[in-house]
Amino acid sequence: MHNYPRWPIHAALILVSLVMLVPFYWVFKTSITGENIFVYPPSLIPVDPQPFFYVDAWYAIPFPYFFMNSVIVAVMVIAANLVINAAAGFALTKEFAGKRWIVLLFLACMMIPFHATIVPAYLVTSHLGLLNTHLGLALPAFSHIICIFLFKASFDAIPPSLIQAAKIDGVPEWQIMFRILLPLARPAVAANVILSFIWSWNDFLWPLIIIRDVEMQTLPLGLSTFLAYFEDTTGSLYAFCVMVLAPGLLVFLLAQRQFIEGLTSGARKG
Amino acid sequence: MPVETASRVARTTTGRGGLLARKRHRELLLIWLLLTPALLIFLAYRILPLLWNGVLSFQFWSPTKPAEWAGLFHYEEMFVYDDVFWTSLYNTFLYMLTAPISIGIAVVLALMVNSRIRGRGVYRTIIFLSYPLMVVAVGIIWRWLYDERVGLINYLLRQAGLIDEPIAFLESYGTALPSVIAAAIWQITGFFMIILLTGLQNIPPSLYEAASIDGASRWSQFWRITLPLLRPSIFICFVIAIIASFTSFDLIYVMTGGGPGHATELLITYIYKAAFTLSQFDYAGALTIVMFVLFVGIALLGNLLAGGDAGKVDIAE
Repeated sequence: MHNYPRWPIHAALILVSLVMLVPFYWVFKTSITGENIFVYPPSLIPVDPQPFFYVDAWYAIPFPYFFMNSVIVAVMVIAANLVINAAAGFALTKEFAGKRWIVLLFLACMMIPFHATIVPAYLVTSHLGLLNTHLGLALPAFSHIICIFLFKASFDAIPPSLIQAAKIDGVPEWQIMFRILLPLARPAVAANVILSFIWSWNDFLWPLIIIRDVEMQTLPLGLSTFLAYFEDTTGSLYAFCVMVLAPGLLVFLLAQRQFIEGLTSGARKG
Repeated sequence: MPVETASRVARTTTGRGGLLARKRHRELLLIWLLLTPALLIFLAYRILPLLWNGVLSFQFWSPTKPAEWAGLFHYEEMFVYDDVFWTSLYNTFLYMLTAPISIGIAVVLALMVNSRIRGRGVYRTIIFLSYPLMVVAVGIIWRWLYDERVGLINYLLRQAGLIDEPIAFLESYGTALPSVIAAAIWQITGFFMIILLTGLQNIPPSLYEAASIDGASRWSQFWRITLPLLRPSIFICFVIAIIASFTSFDLIYVMTGGGPGHATELLITYIYKAAFTLSQFDYAGALTIVMFVLFVGIALLGNLLAGGDAGKVDIAE
């Protein structure tokens, strides 16, 4: 079974890897050299690299604001998702009248992409007085149905005898949640954190709709806004682009395994 | 409300079994309390907006005007007079080409990184790397690669002697949409590869062993064992790709803004423009209803083709 040559596979994979990596390299190169758009041909290796464009971008853009806004919204979304989804997932492990309807309702909601709700969602947020606020940014993402079902599945996998034992030992119902269920549902917790982080961190359409002030913009929105400002000063735009990509990339590389597991479990249930 | 009926039951049975009934009552109360926050979110940001879209689509309404009954006016406008609507609908379908292309590539990649070669972990990471990235940044990266004057792609094509004059990929009618689709494929293929890889690893090796003993070639093993058993994973990828064709707002907005003309306009970008640049909330509502019906139709069709309730069974109960 293992008598086939390996080098064609390596060659193909190296080629694909190049296709995946070169765009990053090209943008990084531009961010340290500042391409002159009137000079042809472009040089393939960085000539005269310098950090000037990072400094320039730093002073031209309220980067700390964008970053903090993104962090605040992401933290709110992650915390809300953990609490709300764990609670709902736990409730769905119990038997009660109307459970079928609740599950059906959740499944039906899954069929409504957020993108198909933007106009009324804007009006709802406006009625709540939450336009241009962090809470308004975070609120629609406070719960993801996929994550509720991920929690339900991992709670279901916990042997009931364990919970019975805890009850006999006199652990109150609400403490069972924190002391027994959540620690045992760690994969679901990880998937929740990762999915809600990515979706909130990368979200663009919703901030674009409800944010008016520059100081309230999140990273992706700030990046797209300054795309227009920087149109021809290439170095600074791509320096900004690298600065925006860096945190997400760092998080991904640090928690790669959990990332991939979280994303695929999200997809499998979706 | 089940809570009320439950409490009534609890009250009537108070007496001998009172303690047990009260306990059940309290448990029910807890269950509904735990469900409430999630239900509120989905009521406010899924159910209500969907209904509101429906209402809006039959009204003349803008934030400054009182609502007026419009009947089918917006739908007539859309289907009969609005060429941009048809263009964006057509483009949305074209955008779905992302699905077969990226899934085809992903199957090959998954097979390759699943083979026993050195450094496969590194390959997996590199190929997956683009997926979790911010789409806005990906759009900016690709704009730069497609640049007419100093873009890498034009440079390479010219060096290879494939073209004489640089191509303005994102500014020409013929090339704009395929260029954006290529960027979308670049970003999503790694994700599909990982999903398919998980599917591959779930295929029991004994099947292959049995097949080799029976003298089946690698080629027929692929068609007879691998592909059929990968079907659920491929279906998941298709669903994700179809959803993406309805939701790929970020990439279009950053790379082309729907232009040139409306050459890369998708339904979602058109809805955004109608609502938030032209303030035609009512018309945007009607567009959304059409998009939603289309989406659900395709989802149901896909489900039917995949042989019934694919992927949904395990969560429903």
